Amino acid sequence: MSIAPLTTDQSDALQEVVNIAMGQAGDRLARTLDVFVELSVPRIRLVHVSEIVKTVRAMVNDREAITAVRQSFYDHLRGEAIVLFGASGCLDLAVLMGYATDLDALGEQELLLDVGNILIGACISGIGAQLQADISFYPPSIMAEYASLDRVLVPENLAWEYSLLVEVNFTLENSNFKSHLLILMAEEGIESLRESLERLMAAV
Amino acid sequence: MSTPVTIVDDSSLSRKLIIKALPPDWNVEVTQASNGVEALDACRAGKAHVMFLDLTMPVMDGYEVLEHLKREGLNSFVIVVSADIQPKAQERVRSMGAIAFLKKPVSTEQVAKVLKDYGIL
Repeated sequence: MSIAPLTTDQSDALQEVVNIAMGQAGDRLARTLDVFVELSVPRIRLVHVSEIVKTVRAMVNDREAITAVRQSFYDHLRGEAIVLFGASGCLDLAVLMGYATDLDALGEQELLLDVGNILIGACISGIGAQLQADISFYPPSIMAEYASLDRVLVPENLAWEYSLLVEVNFTLENSNFKSHLLILMAEEGIESLRESLERLMAAV
Repeated sequence: MSTPVTIVDDSSLSRKLIIKALPPDWNVEVTQASNGVEALDACRAGKAHVMFLDLTMPVMDGYEVLEHLKREGLNSFVIVVSADIQPKAQERVRSMGAIAFLKKPVSTEQVAKVLKDYGIL
């Protein structure tokens, strides 16, 4: 089964909606850490599951080990969000959050779950609010620790064939910390998103 | 006489939303720009007495536009309209010469208030 990509207008509208939502997420992170968060322009792609690693690798563009937090959402919009944390930035993050620098593995997991949850919650809720779509969340979980990207995104573990991929990244000024937020919406999720975007554009 | 206004945003939806939020009694000549380079061109051509400026854009972002305006001595009332709502982003653009910082999506009331505060409306 193949999926029609978003039209240019739909893609433009989604980019703007994501932009506003990531601004809210960045603001939450900035206030939590008391630092300046640099935001990226959202990237949107329709990907086949076999291409996901290649596509994300081109966006992430580094070879360092990754710890990933995953959280699924459902209701009017359906999909999952994954935050990829580069290993070298975790220590910087711990210092900013006021944790001890000799954080054990469990402490580090907790920290990344917290920060992942802040970013995903603010971003997905922000998208839902603009599209007037109710969204519920499953609890976040650690998807992989200190792993390479092809161990994080394993096609056999992804329950879709085609997915809409939205990528935004957050970097902190004067820090090694960098995280990528991936939002994946699969086949039927794309259709409800499409309808929501059309409604939004019709209202302008 | 109509006021030359340039709306700078890479998203056409966002530009439409800003145009829709302009006070209906304000007589304007609107120019649209989709990045900072186009914004500066419009400004040099006298089309930006007032500029509504997004921050996160490809090619040239809003911060760079503010720098260029200052360096080239170009005069424009710049109202930043941004999704990046961090307190430090707001401080930064104000220190770089923007007259106001409005959070997306903007309302007509917010725009009218800024324009009145600066005697533009």
